[in-house]
Amino acid sequence: MPLKKTFIVSGAQTKFGALEGVTFREMLAEAVDKATIQAGVPKKEIQAVFLGTFNPEMLIHQGHTAPLLLDYAGLRGLPATRHEAACASGAVALRAGIMAIESGLYDTVLVGGVEKMTSVSTNKVTEALAAAADDEFESGVGLTFPGVFALAAVAHMNRYGTTQEDMALVAVKAHKNAASNPLAQFQKEITLEKAMTPKFVAWPLKLFDCSPISDGAAALVLSSDKKAKQYTDTPVKIVGSGQASASMNLSGRSDLTSFEASVAASRSAYKMANLTPKDIDFAVVHDCFTIAEIIATEDIGFFKPGEGAKAVREGITAKDGAKPINPTGGLKAVGHPVGATGVKQAVEVYKELIGAAGANQVPKHNIGLMHNFGGTGATCVVNIMRRADA
Amino acid sequence: MSERPTVEAYKKNIQEGKFRALKCSSCGAVITPPLGTCYNCGGNKMEWTNVSGKGKLVSFTVIHVAPDEFAPEVPYIVAIVELAEKSRVTARLAGFDPLKPEAIKIGIPLVLGYEKGKSGKNYLSFRPA
Ligand SMILES: CC(C)(COP(=O)(O)OP(=O)(O)OC[C@H]1O[C@@H](n2cnc3c(N)ncnc32)[C@H](O)[C@@H]1OP(=O)(O)O)[C@@H](O)C(=O)NCCC(=O)NCCS
Ligand SMILES: [Zn+2]
Repeated sequence: MPLKKTFIVSGAQTKFGALEGVTFREMLAEAVDKATIQAGVPKKEIQAVFLGTFNPEMLIHQGHTAPLLLDYAGLRGLPATRHEAACASGAVALRAGIMAIESGLYDTVLVGGVEKMTSVSTNKVTEALAAAADDEFESGVGLTFPGVFALAAVAHMNRYGTTQEDMALVAVKAHKNAASNPLAQFQKEITLEKAMTPKFVAWPLKLFDCSPISDGAAALVLSSDKKAKQYTDTPVKIVGSGQASASMNLSGRSDLTSFEASVAASRSAYKMANLTPKDIDFAVVHDCFTIAEIIATEDIGFFKPGEGAKAVREGITAKDGAKPINPTGGLKAVGHPVGATGVKQAVEVYKELIGAAGANQVPKHNIGLMHNFGGTGATCVVNIMRRADA
Repeated sequence: MSERPTVEAYKKNIQEGKFRALKCSSCGAVITPPLGTCYNCGGNKMEWTNVSGKGKLVSFTVIHVAPDEFAPEVPYIVAIVELAEKSRVTARLAGFDPLKPEAIKIGIPLVLGYEKGKSGKNYLSFRPA
């Protein structure tokens, strides 16, 4: 069934990074204010709230976060639910919001995402993240998150000849794009040599192959066809949305060079939108690790299996290339406050589509795609969006 | 071998160095780690089965940054291994220098064993055949 009536009418993110002295609730409230009052959507118009946050229990010792966050953000009283799907928490919250509008239950809802990660040590963050893998059979053997993607990297390198340098080129591109993004954690270009610094996190993944540990929040407002034009002249329509899951364990998958949930989620999003990869002008994909971007661009059908690295080498995925990928800097350089990421990706696609991406604007911006990935790839959400006048 | 396989018993077997896999009672598919339903036939009756202990390396990584529990063991190798019975497991890989990962080749034959970690846990651990 095609999506009929869900539009994004505003969206914003806080700065991402190590935001010392700024708490969980303050970050979300800042993103909410930017996406509502500062964007011409009065808070009293919001009828329900969908929030993504991954592991505040282990990171900041806080559960039952939806009412807590709402209360501080001036939305007390509204129906509010927290959604969790590891790094895809933001996008599953967004999908819940989409379904709420499509069902006709509400006309205007807020979707938000937030994570506070920098208040504990790197080892503790690694432990909190590892909770998104199977604790009995994978994390319990000592596998970490970077380790999960390292397993995929080794398989991809072995089958297709992808190299550590190819992966480093993804990091160079990310840092280059983020250099002009004032909200990014790392606003500095890096050389290929620097990206290749052999500080291994999970061989063959090095420091610069990893997204960082970040704080941040993002929020957006969804509205129905009845209301969208009241808030903006440039609403963005969500034309396709897909979600899929896969075996939690990497050992439960027959192929480590591709993530089956990404393939399935993107197929259903394309089908719903009645579009093909050729129709998409640019994409924001889940580059939690550089190899994840290479594989994602193959899984969403932009490039053939094994040709994602070649596309990076040839500049096809650069901001001004034929298929720009992560034009604002991706998780790699903008940062990855886990629960915020999926919402932030939607905000980025929205901004690119309406031509409001500033120095990070892609030249062609009628139709965009976002790909948000959870945990070991056990959850994937793909949304396709189109400018209402395009 | 007649008791019903459980997740707890599967883990206990590894701790005691007596690894056993699950087998679907309907179609005979070997299943690791435990699942409640067989994806080959949809059957949900499982029994224990012994495995040959032979396998081959599917992929691996060397962990350098780890949670506190495993931090004293870094660098260590985690691998995905395909058993001769076609099912896969995630385990430690021994018998290689973790600082020379280039020497480890995908597809090499391995044999199943165990390794006691500094964490006090017994890990399923494979080494070159
Ligand atoms: C890679 C990682 C282990 C580095 O953490 P760390 O070793 O504690 O690094 P530090 O915070 O000590 O930072 C050391 C330096 O590297 C920089 N840095 C940290 N992470 C970085 C990253 N991912 N990319 C680039 N630079 C990074 C820091 O800014 C700092 O620079 P400085 O010395 O100039 O100030 C950590 O960022 C990590 O675990 N990332 C993965 C997060 C993850 O798995 N997310 C979920 C994905 S699904
Ligand atoms: Zn069966």
